[in-house]
Amino acid sequence: MSPSSRRGLFVAGFLAPAVVLYGMFVVWPVAEAFAFSLYRWRGVSEHRTFVGLDNFVRLGSDPVFRQALGHNLVFLLVGGTAIMALGLAIAHAVHGSGRGPRALRGVYLFPQIISGVVVAILWMFIYNPSFGILNGSLKALGLDALALDWLGTPRTALPALVVTFVWHGVGFYIMLFSAGLRTIPVEVHEAALLDGVSGLRRFVSITLPMLWAVMRVAMVYVVIGALNVFALVFLMTVGGPDRRTETMLTYLYEQAFKNSEFGYATALAVANFVIVMLLAGLVMALFRRNPQDARA
Amino acid sequence: MIRRTLTAAGLVLFAASVVLPLVWVAVTSLKSSPEIFASPWSLPADLRWANYARAWREAGIARCFTNSLIVTTATLAILLPVGSMAAYVFARYPFRGARWLFGAFLGGMMFPLFLTIVPLFLLLRDLALLDSLEGLTLVYVAYSLPFTVFVMTGFFHTLPQELLEAAMIDGCGHVSAFLRVMLPLARPGLIVVGIFNAIGLWNEYPLALVIAVSEEIRTLPLGIANLMMMEHYQSDWGALFAGLVIVMGPVLAVYWAFRDRIHDTMVAGALKG
Repeated sequence: MSPSSRRGLFVAGFLAPAVVLYGMFVVWPVAEAFAFSLYRWRGVSEHRTFVGLDNFVRLGSDPVFRQALGHNLVFLLVGGTAIMALGLAIAHAVHGSGRGPRALRGVYLFPQIISGVVVAILWMFIYNPSFGILNGSLKALGLDALALDWLGTPRTALPALVVTFVWHGVGFYIMLFSAGLRTIPVEVHEAALLDGVSGLRRFVSITLPMLWAVMRVAMVYVVIGALNVFALVFLMTVGGPDRRTETMLTYLYEQAFKNSEFGYATALAVANFVIVMLLAGLVMALFRRNPQDARA
Repeated sequence: MIRRTLTAAGLVLFAASVVLPLVWVAVTSLKSSPEIFASPWSLPADLRWANYARAWREAGIARCFTNSLIVTTATLAILLPVGSMAAYVFARYPFRGARWLFGAFLGGMMFPLFLTIVPLFLLLRDLALLDSLEGLTLVYVAYSLPFTVFVMTGFFHTLPQELLEAAMIDGCGHVSAFLRVMLPLARPGLIVVGIFNAIGLWNEYPLALVIAVSEEIRTLPLGIANLMMMEHYQSDWGALFAGLVIVMGPVLAVYWAFRDRIHDTMVAGALKG
């Protein structure tokens, strides 16, 4: 065998297992997802009818889907804003000060490292009306009137989930922003200090622009995270009470695995994917221009 | 000065909000159910280690723990060789279409899992792999490949090309140069990727929820979620909290031991773009 065909054989042989597994369980199902979304298909039977874009039309007028999308947008706008603000503030505080941060750095990823299932159950107990620590604290402070059934009350269920979402996710963003802050050369801050620029102005006019690229990536992750929230909602409220916390993926799960509406559920998955891509693209486009470049 | 004090206070408050709930779980796991109800804040009167025994034996956590251990270990045993072989080729053997194929693998890091969940469910059903640890393992391998290939390719890139050439001059073939020279050098990378994947697999919920249907093959996250629903009727909260500690304990311990390297790997993976 010639050296080049031996090389070719080696390349093919070493790639094959990964390509087969990835192709079979990831690429192929992705392709199938787009195809399935065009069929009406109720699980049990092999019978499926090609209906073109009907599933998507049905989605557009499905009040539950609209409601779910709205809740996902609440996760994105309220939860995402809180995550970005808290993440920046904490990363900045950790970066600025001295010794404590090393200890804190080990701690802030805890919620990210433990299973989403544990996070969900833990927060169910925090919110538990009869022995949760939230109501326990409120009652201890004499605020009995505020001690609600947080997850069971339509008005408070979604905000309660958003708080958990932020608690669960913020560590990842602290980590991203910390990494971004470390790439800013010390000289830049020293120069700013010499020029008498400090405090909030230094943060806005120097730190933020230099973090631009990281912020943009972070926002894309926020979009993905907020539109793909599942375990927290599924375990803590199952979309209730009365669908007041329904999200796209919990509704997808219900349609696919409770109602066996495989075609419709897959159309929902495709719609979710397209919405994520559009919003991520929008974020990338809106924040393409670095304000620093504009000034230069 | 005031600013610095406020900042410090804020950081302490944040750290407390992260750590205290976890400590609360650990403390509560040693209390009796009446105690949990009567005084959620108090320390346990006696340490009820029996909660752990009940969670382990009666609540079926032992079975789930074993399943999680099997699936996590089996996934790593397939993933690490398969992933590093592909990564090695991507890093060291340029070929036509390599960029395209590498891009296809990386794309998997951005795809939402739920896009494929229905087709995947039906595929596994057709292959008779649904509701089996084998099926769950193969799916875990496939979905862990993008990150693994990405990190390992980066790692193989950093190894000096001269080593490979020297090995070839010494008469090594492609395969033995990989096995004898390059793979041993890549061990630090393999360890980090292995730990990182192990944590994610141990915690994984949505795929297991769809694939592992029957009780005998439940993994820990499924088991604990199920226990949560059952305890609504049985009210053995002590055992449930013990179960929570069993799920998160190993992960937190491993994380703490390797936190700096896990941190750096996460940053590298997240900021690839």
